[in-house]
Amino acid sequence: MNRGSVSKLTLALGLAAVVLSVATLIGLPTPVQALATAAVLVLLPGQALARLLHVADRALGALLVPVLGLATLTAVSTAMFYLTMWSWKACIVAMSVITILACLERARQEEA
Amino acid sequence: MISVAEATSRTKGRIKSRDVLCALAGAAALALAAWAASTVAVPIENDLGLVAVLPYPFWAGVVLLNVAFVAALRGDAAGPASRPVMIWLLAVLVLMLFGTAIFVTGVPRGEVAFRHLGIADALASTQDINPHIDAYFNWPGFFALLATLHRATGLDPVTVALWAPVVDMGLWLTALGVLTRHLTTNPRRRWLVLWIFCLGNWQDQDYLSPQAFGLFLYLVVVALVLGPLGAHVPQFRGFKRVELAAWWRGRTPAEAQPGRRLSALVVTLLLVVVISASHQLTPFMVLIAITALTLCGRVWPSRLPLIAGVVLALWLAYPASAYLDGHPPLADAGLQAATQANIVDRVNGTPGHLLVVQVRILLTLVLWVLALAGAVWDWRKKRLDIRVVLLAVTPLLLFPTQSYGGEMLIRVSLFALPFIAMQASSVLLPAHVGTRPSFLAAGALALCCCLLAVMTVTGRFGNARYDVFTDNEVAAVQSVQRLAPEGSAVISAAHPTPWRNQGYLDHRYRTIDDLCKSGLSAATCGPLVYDYARHNPAGGVVLLTRSSEESLVLQGDISEQGFDEFEQWLRSQDSVQLVFSNRDARAYRLAPFAVAP
Repeated sequence: MNRGSVSKLTLALGLAAVVLSVATLIGLPTPVQALATAAVLVLLPGQALARLLHVADRALGALLVPVLGLATLTAVSTAMFYLTMWSWKACIVAMSVITILACLERARQEEA
Repeated sequence: MISVAEATSRTKGRIKSRDVLCALAGAAALALAAWAASTVAVPIENDLGLVAVLPYPFWAGVVLLNVAFVAALRGDAAGPASRPVMIWLLAVLVLMLFGTAIFVTGVPRGEVAFRHLGIADALASTQDINPHIDAYFNWPGFFALLATLHRATGLDPVTVALWAPVVDMGLWLTALGVLTRHLTTNPRRRWLVLWIFCLGNWQDQDYLSPQAFGLFLYLVVVALVLGPLGAHVPQFRGFKRVELAAWWRGRTPAEAQPGRRLSALVVTLLLVVVISASHQLTPFMVLIAITALTLCGRVWPSRLPLIAGVVLALWLAYPASAYLDGHPPLADAGLQAATQANIVDRVNGTPGHLLVVQVRILLTLVLWVLALAGAVWDWRKKRLDIRVVLLAVTPLLLFPTQSYGGEMLIRVSLFALPFIAMQASSVLLPAHVGTRPSFLAAGALALCCCLLAVMTVTGRFGNARYDVFTDNEVAAVQSVQRLAPEGSAVISAAHPTPWRNQGYLDHRYRTIDDLCKSGLSAATCGPLVYDYARHNPAGGVVLLTRSSEESLVLQGDISEQGFDEFEQWLRSQDSVQLVFSNRDARAYRLAPFAVAP
């Protein structure tokens, strides 16, 4: 990666979050919907957040992708239930926003 | 930089015939086991459970897989077989041991997974958390996650529950695989730890449950605490105050960069919060583990236990306060009460069931004895890792604090298992990293693994007579949930009933053995059940299934004749009507007593 430029992976993660969240909110055929939703709710936010941590151990970094995705989704879903504003669509929007914010922060780091 | 142990260097890019053979043997073992398991007829009609009805090709597959694993582990002078082969063999083992029931039936085993689906469904339907419903709604984190994933993905919840054991084991093994990198530099030992973790995992806690999710996060927390949050300690000089102070000050962080330590700390705190919100017991395990590691100087942020303790206390004081009001955590504390609930009360039932219970105890003891021998061996070689010992032993501290419905010992042994496996592996492999096990040692290891596998299948599927449900039973439950008026009492004979996955809040679910603490005979228990159902304003439905009857008989609570007498008595009462019947279940509707104007 060149100093001062945003990496392709950061861009791809942010774009994928936007595209897949819109697609899952509109609705897709069942197996595709399951895969796309798993990506939007767990894998993309997990990957975006894990990239902010700069973990030295690659195995630990890979493990943190599903861990951060699941833990963040649990925290977001639980908070929404307590605030009586839960819906699965709201969760998708919230997790997409988290992914995009993480990507923006990563982009800021890459540009610095 | 943290020192993560790297695998012994291997000849890269060259496929070895031994690796190919081991992988093929794994595939053959899987095919044998899957085919053999698929021929088993449901219901299981044997007190020993699945172990007694699985045909011999299944066991041939078990032996073949364990031999292939030991051959792959032995590898060559460069180390064990390649990583993809080892992962493949592990995946086959997980499918064979934890997916066996999936090859037998398409219905998830056990009652609790159904109940957990119902809680997630209730949350999604009400879109609110009412902590006064029951304990689950005081620790709703996992169910909130489940509700979101189910509604968003559109996957069939029952299918998800069916495959949950395999998925959970995959997650546990992934976390444990990362964790062991911080404990040993020996790649053979790391693979063997994962293998023993599978072979010793009879506890059957990997179904769709908050504790399975909690154990996964617990292992990740331990990996973080041993890794980027770890600390190196100087040589211990003594217990005098000056010596202790010098020892404490002499600690250095395992991760040199403060930014990385901070990141790991943030993730750890997030996980502690999520664990505290998801499960009653796991946060205490986390707190005990990180406190013990911190006190022995192996955790760099020394205030981490304090922060974790505050998070846990806050959760108990606010979101979980509704439950704790009526259930003080230490109400049934004490070693005697714990022993009674966890051991004495469990060692009863038919001779077959008793044998299963004894095999479970034996398997646990075998692993603990191996671990003890490994600890002594390591201590004599001056390489005992105090972190492993602490992580293996500290879960025991929770044993006398609560009986946990008679399941505390099961949970304690599960949380200790990864580190018991770690310590046990010390005596099962040569001491030096690069040394291959001899043929004799490899043969003994293969034999040991085969025996552990047989014991695990026995212990794990020992309740198959009553926790493997038939399609008829599932159909009966669905009909009852549909037929029972809202607010009515739905009463099953005993807990192994595949119910409550729908309409969790619509009915009052009870079991006969819960209502009749003094005995299940028709004369004493019948009137209690009858009155309970009819006094309920919406009446009740009594559901008698094959599995619930088998459960009571197998565990010695009632005889088959006594159960028949109970049913005869019920049928003979006023206002009792048979509303559903098939080969494996009967449902009786009990009209409510007329309400006085």
